[in-house]
Amino acid sequence: MKKNILPPKWLDRLATKLCAPHLREELIGDLQERYAMRFERSGRQKAFFFYLREVFGLLRLSVIRRKSSGYSSIPLFSSEMLANYFKIGTRVLLKNRGYSFIHLTGLAIGLWACMIVATVVIDSLSYDRQWSRGNDIYRIVTEDQKGNSGPERMTASHEGLAQELEKLFPEVETWSAFSYAERHFKPNELDEYGLKTELLRMDTTAWNMLDIHVTSGNPRRYIPGNQNVILSKSFAERFAPGKDLVGKLIYDIPTYQDKANPYLVTGIIDDLPYNSHLRADAILLNVKNVAPYAVNGFYSFAQNYVMLHPGTDVAAFSKKANHWYTTINKDRGKMRLELQPLKYIYLHSAFSDAQRIKGNADAIYIFSGIALLLLFIACVNFINLSTAKAFARLKEAGVRRILSGSRYQLILQLLTETLILFGASIVVATTFYNLSIESVEEFLGHRLVQTFTTNPEMALYASAIVFLTALFTGLYPAWLISGFKPSNTLRGIITGTFGANSLRKSLVVVQFSISIVVLLATIVVWKQLDLMKNKDLGYDKKHLLGIDYVSWDGKADAFKAEVQRIPGVVRTSITRWLPSQGGGFMMRQVPDPADAEKRIKVWFVAGDVDLPETLGLKLSGGRTFSKQYSTDALNADSLQQADFMKFEQAAMSQASMLTESAAKMLNVKDLNKQIRNAHTIPVGIVSDFYNESLYEPIKPTIILAHRAMQDGGMLIRVQPGTEKQVDAGIHRLWKQFYPAKLLEVNQIEELLDKQYEAENRLHQLFMFFSGLTMFLSALGIFGLVVQAAEQRSKEVGIRKVLGASVAGIVALLSKDFIKLVIIAIVLASPLAWLSLNKWLEHYPYRTEMNWWIFVITGLSAISITILTISFQAVRAALADPVKSLRNE
Amino acid sequence: MRRSDLGEFEEIVLLTVAATAPKAYSVVIAEELEKETGFPVSTGAVHAALQRLEQKGYLSSYLGEATQERGGRRKRLFTITAFGGKILNEARAVRESLWNRIEPETLAKIGLDFS
Repeated sequence: MKKNILPPKWLDRLATKLCAPHLREELIGDLQERYAMRFERSGRQKAFFFYLREVFGLLRLSVIRRKSSGYSSIPLFSSEMLANYFKIGTRVLLKNRGYSFIHLTGLAIGLWACMIVATVVIDSLSYDRQWSRGNDIYRIVTEDQKGNSGPERMTASHEGLAQELEKLFPEVETWSAFSYAERHFKPNELDEYGLKTELLRMDTTAWNMLDIHVTSGNPRRYIPGNQNVILSKSFAERFAPGKDLVGKLIYDIPTYQDKANPYLVTGIIDDLPYNSHLRADAILLNVKNVAPYAVNGFYSFAQNYVMLHPGTDVAAFSKKANHWYTTINKDRGKMRLELQPLKYIYLHSAFSDAQRIKGNADAIYIFSGIALLLLFIACVNFINLSTAKAFARLKEAGVRRILSGSRYQLILQLLTETLILFGASIVVATTFYNLSIESVEEFLGHRLVQTFTTNPEMALYASAIVFLTALFTGLYPAWLISGFKPSNTLRGIITGTFGANSLRKSLVVVQFSISIVVLLATIVVWKQLDLMKNKDLGYDKKHLLGIDYVSWDGKADAFKAEVQRIPGVVRTSITRWLPSQGGGFMMRQVPDPADAEKRIKVWFVAGDVDLPETLGLKLSGGRTFSKQYSTDALNADSLQQADFMKFEQAAMSQASMLTESAAKMLNVKDLNKQIRNAHTIPVGIVSDFYNESLYEPIKPTIILAHRAMQDGGMLIRVQPGTEKQVDAGIHRLWKQFYPAKLLEVNQIEELLDKQYEAENRLHQLFMFFSGLTMFLSALGIFGLVVQAAEQRSKEVGIRKVLGASVAGIVALLSKDFIKLVIIAIVLASPLAWLSLNKWLEHYPYRTEMNWWIFVITGLSAISITILTISFQAVRAALADPVKSLRNE
Repeated sequence: MRRSDLGEFEEIVLLTVAATAPKAYSVVIAEELEKETGFPVSTGAVHAALQRLEQKGYLSSYLGEATQERGGRRKRLFTITAFGGKILNEARAVRESLWNRIEPETLAKIGLDFS
């Protein structure tokens, strides 16, 4: 017999696929016969290539077109069919209540979290996009290329800079300085209390930059005499309901004078947009009166904004401006200017300490990522459960197909079920969204302007996205279930290619990896927060009250003496530095004694002689300040006013206390000897303390003492538990001393904790999200276990009959899942370690990533899994085997 | 005469069916055409032409026996119908009358003088 020569299998298969079924017999036969002929005539290679050509030759309509079955098929999308899909779908969902509930809970949680996060993200992105000339407005950011710590960016630039740019470059259309201020306004001079008002300070030119709609008055022109203030409509309504304030005077509660300052209301405007970093209750108008720009070493600073002509090439302009700036400063590009677009200011201003209204781009990225992952987990749950359920539905699918339902009909049927579930979930999610949006606003500390309820367009897009997600999620299970051969499924033969199992397993692993990463992040963020809140700052932050900066009007010492007599007060100090308010009242760059080329920065903190003790600094050498030494405390203010040179001289020989790091850096060996480069005589050394938040490394600091200060704050050390009583006492005293002046008393510890608000929020969010991801993952695995127990009920029954123990059966059912969770732990841990290490690099003082974090996370993931599984597994193991075996 | 709906390739395939009768099927026809023209002819093209010719009623077909080279598949054998023969004849008549009308000088000029 002749040996059978056949073409390559894969090509043959391709040819068979292309060819319509009714033509296959003759056509494929022809192809194979010709291949054999060619093979014998000219060898394998030629025959192969010819066969390849032949297969491509099949690409013609007459070959590919399938013969119609001869029966008219039911249209897939007729209204009857749609109604039928819907009816069957709801019936199926109601019949399997348990599954539907698991699906619904998971999806609703996922969708709800996504909606909330999407709202926050969209709201954050909407900031400062509403100004008609917004694309032409830039904030001038100066960048200081310092050698050691990388470039330092500041929003402040030299006061005359913007004006100079306007003069030099035709690209600049106009400019204005913007800054924030806060006043307590009252309608009448003699009113006791005022309404706290947030003010936007701007120049008259800003009228041309921002779209501000004036409703009454003519505030565009500056009216000399009093300060001009323009109120927003809603603020005016709150401030003096029903009264027309235009042209009237209102008053503030001052911090520096002892009499209220008058302000002239020159107009009322529509409220400034809430989603702008310039939002405020009122505008304080400045007259443009800036000294010309000159490079002389003494500068005032301002936050300058420029508006360029439309269509200006910003990069080119920035280059030009920088070239000029470098030339005029003669610093070889050490200081650079950067133009920050208005619309990026809100989210990308982490460097700007003074900015009151700002978002955090990183947090936005992190949480959009987590919300998407959450939705992903919910969808994975859905896919997993649906494919697991495929077994139960194979018979149904088989019967439908035999009764002339097409595969596409079946797919549509299953997709309809998915859509119904998603629809129900979105209803639930929207309800919760509406209920929770207010708490979210409270948590964020600001209103959300763009929400799904206020912006129908946004809701429309969201629905479209959810619809697509539903389709995408539902497609795979539908494809799988509908794909089996009805003849096989009805006979109970499930072909070996039920490969969904490995897919399901890997999905579970991904799911758990995500929740483990989030859980690890939660622990690390909490540890970091804990570290920052509880680190020993070098002074005692507890039981310490602070009064903000005021002018003392010569009554400081008298006031201090009175405060000292309030019961509960231990010690008080008038001070020029308060914790949480910067590194000190002055910073000086002095030559480094170790390296003449370098300069080191030293911060100065000043207060009266009681400051070190009031703060609770620990003395480690020398003595503390004392009233007995006349050189200890300098009458700085009056000296400075009288004769600046004399003051400088006196300051040279002034006593000071150094922190340990300052002493080390300045190379101080002997006390009571003048340090030449720092102009001071150290008398004592205290241990290091953290002037600022723990975002900053420790600062070498020199403490000076001043006498009879004209302005400053006040620190009051009290006995534990007497804070409230002392606070009331201070308020009473204040009324006597400064009836018209503003008083703000704070607990220093609260102020310090507020610095870590970002971490605090991050931590709370992570707690919340790690709970959700864990819950959803557990829900998913629960569904799978229920499924497995159901599928294997016969096996469990037989095992029990043959004498298997309950524990053995529980182990049998749980083993597979625990294996998956362990794989997830192994995968997730290094990933989390890398990314969290990266996050911790932001902080100079960071918590450690101990091994026990990973152990705890792993153990808790496994125990959650076991808890979830055992609930169902035990039930399956305890079931009566007679029931499961008899049932057919 | 009615306008012939017989394409050039179809005509040649039809002729080949007649010439290789009674064993005419795609492989034989394609091989024959390759031999005659010297160009590779794909089975798909021949098959498509045969299908069209059968639809037009010039050919009839039946399934033949299976062979080893075909992986045990049967082949579809084609025979020309009387109608097919008539059409072929008509096409030939048209051609012949045109050939006959060419003047001998013209034939000589284009190098086709066979006399």
